[in-house]
Amino acid sequence: MPRYLQNLELPLNSEQPQILHIDLNSCFATVEQQARPLLRGRPVAITNRLTKNACVVAASYEAKALGVKVGMGYADAKLLAPELIMVETDPPKYHYVYKKLIKIMRSYSPNIGMKSIDEGIIDFHGTRANVNRRPLTVIGHEIKRRLRDDVGCWMKCNVGIAPNRFLAKTAAGLHKPDGLDVITHHNLRQTLSGMRLTDLTGIAQRNQARLNAAGIHTPLQFLDAPASVLSRQVFHSVCGDDWYRRLRGWEVDDAERDTKTIGRQFVMDDYAASEEKVLNRLAHLCESTGLKLRHKGFCARGISLHIQYKTGDAWHSRKAFKSGFYTTPEIFRRALLLYNQHPRHDYVVMLSVSCYLLEASTANQMSILDEVNKEAFLTEAIDELNDRYGNYTVTFANSLGANQEIKQKIPFGTTRYFELLCDRA
Amino acid sequence: MDQAEIINKDVNIVAFYFKNSARRLRCFPKRMEYDGKRINFTETGLVHPTKKGQRMIHVFDMTDGAADYRLEFDAADLSWKLIAITDTQYASISPKFRTAPQF
Repeated sequence: MPRYLQNLELPLNSEQPQILHIDLNSCFATVEQQARPLLRGRPVAITNRLTKNACVVAASYEAKALGVKVGMGYADAKLLAPELIMVETDPPKYHYVYKKLIKIMRSYSPNIGMKSIDEGIIDFHGTRANVNRRPLTVIGHEIKRRLRDDVGCWMKCNVGIAPNRFLAKTAAGLHKPDGLDVITHHNLRQTLSGMRLTDLTGIAQRNQARLNAAGIHTPLQFLDAPASVLSRQVFHSVCGDDWYRRLRGWEVDDAERDTKTIGRQFVMDDYAASEEKVLNRLAHLCESTGLKLRHKGFCARGISLHIQYKTGDAWHSRKAFKSGFYTTPEIFRRALLLYNQHPRHDYVVMLSVSCYLLEASTANQMSILDEVNKEAFLTEAIDELNDRYGNYTVTFANSLGANQEIKQKIPFGTTRYFELLCDRA
Repeated sequence: MDQAEIINKDVNIVAFYFKNSARRLRCFPKRMEYDGKRINFTETGLVHPTKKGQRMIHVFDMTDGAADYRLEFDAADLSWKLIAITDTQYASISPKFRTAPQF
C-alpha cells in the first residue's frame, strides 16, 4: 500500500464472495478409510514409516476425538488411544483423489489453484455471468456430492466461501467435518468474534506475542487495528499492510511464487550409520534432486548441504559455481565437495541436499567438451529407461539399494512434483 | 500397528462389469480363489490406477466384511494379483462412531 494511503481507513470488501475453498477432511486418513471399509469408524493414524519412532502425519476424526494430534509420536498416540490403528502412507491413492478433486474443480472455472495436496481454491471471478449462475452455496454442496460419487461415500470436505482466499480458508475451518460456511462483509465481525488469534491461518505463538505486545488480543481488535500500527509496531514490514487488507476481505494471497530451490532430505534409517551408508544415502538424494531438477527444466549453479548429528548439532555449507549443472553425477560431485568438509564428531541422523541459483536448463545446448556431452547423453538415456521401466531401474552405482530405504513419501505444502513422484513411484 | 500380510501372488478372479452411461466399464471383482478358499467380496473401497514404468496397473481395495484385500489388475496382460490381506484383529469400534456418516 502506498505510504500516503496508510492513514486512510480501508473499508470491508463488500463484493459478493467469489472464492471457494475446498479442504478435504483429514485427507490421508479419510482416503485410507474409504479404501478399506473395515477401518471406517475406527481411530486411524497415518504415518510415513511403520516404526515405533514414527510420527502421525494425519489422524482420522475418530482419532482426533481421542486426543491424537498430527506430529505426535506413535508411543504418545498409542497411550492416548490404545485402539489406534497405524497405517503407512500410500501416495498413489492420494494422488488419485487429488486428480479427481482437480477434475471437479476445473469443471467450474479455469482459474483454480491447489494450495496443497488436500486444499484447493476455485476463483469464480468472470465466470458467474454465463457459466456458474447458481449461488456458490449450491455449487459447494454439489462439489461435496460429486466428491462422494466420484471417489467414495466416506469422502467428506469442508467448503468455505468468501471474497478472498484467506477468509475462504477461515470459513472452511469453521465447522469441521463436512461444513459449508460463507463469510461476507455482513457476518465478518460476528465470525471473528467467536475466534482466537491463533485460529487465524498464519498467526501462531510468535505472531500472537507480537500482536499482544501492541495490545491486540482478539481477532476483532486485529481487524480494527490501523494499518500503520500493524506495519510499524507489530510486523515492522509490509506484512502488516497485507494483514490489514487480508482481514478486510481484499485479495493479497494470489501471487505466484517462483521455484527458488530444489532438493530432498532424509532422516537416516540407521542412527549409527557408517560413512559408506551415509554416502550411499547422499548419492540417492542427489539422484532424486537431479530428477526433480530435470523434470522442472532447470539447471542449478549452487548447491547446499545440511547435516544434523545425533547430538542435535547441525552443520551447513553451500557453494555457488560459475557453470550450471543438472546431471546426477555433477550434483553428486558437488555435494561430495561439501560433504568432505563436515566435522566427523558424531553419527549423521539427517541429510539434506538442495540446489539453488536455478536457471533455465542448458540441456539442449551441446558443449564443446566431449566429456560433458557424454554425461548429458547418458543422463538423458537413463531418464528415458527409468521412465519406461519404472524409477531406479538403472541407477547410480553409489546409491545402489538406497531406494529400498528412502521411499517416496507424500509431499506436504507444494504439489509441484506430485505428478513426477507418483508416476515414477 | 496395521496387520497387513504381503502375499504378492497371482489369483483367479471372477469379476462383474457394469456399463455406466458416458463412462467406461466399471469392474467389480466378485469372487477370488486363493489358497483353496473362495472369498466373496462384498464392497469396493477404492479403485485407483497406478503406473509401473509404462504399465498401467489398477489397484482394487476390496473387503469381504471380515478382511481387507488389495488386488492389482495388470491392464497389459489382464492378470490379477493379490498383493496383501489385512488382518481384522482391529480393536472394536467405539459406540460413538458406530453410525455411518449422514449424507
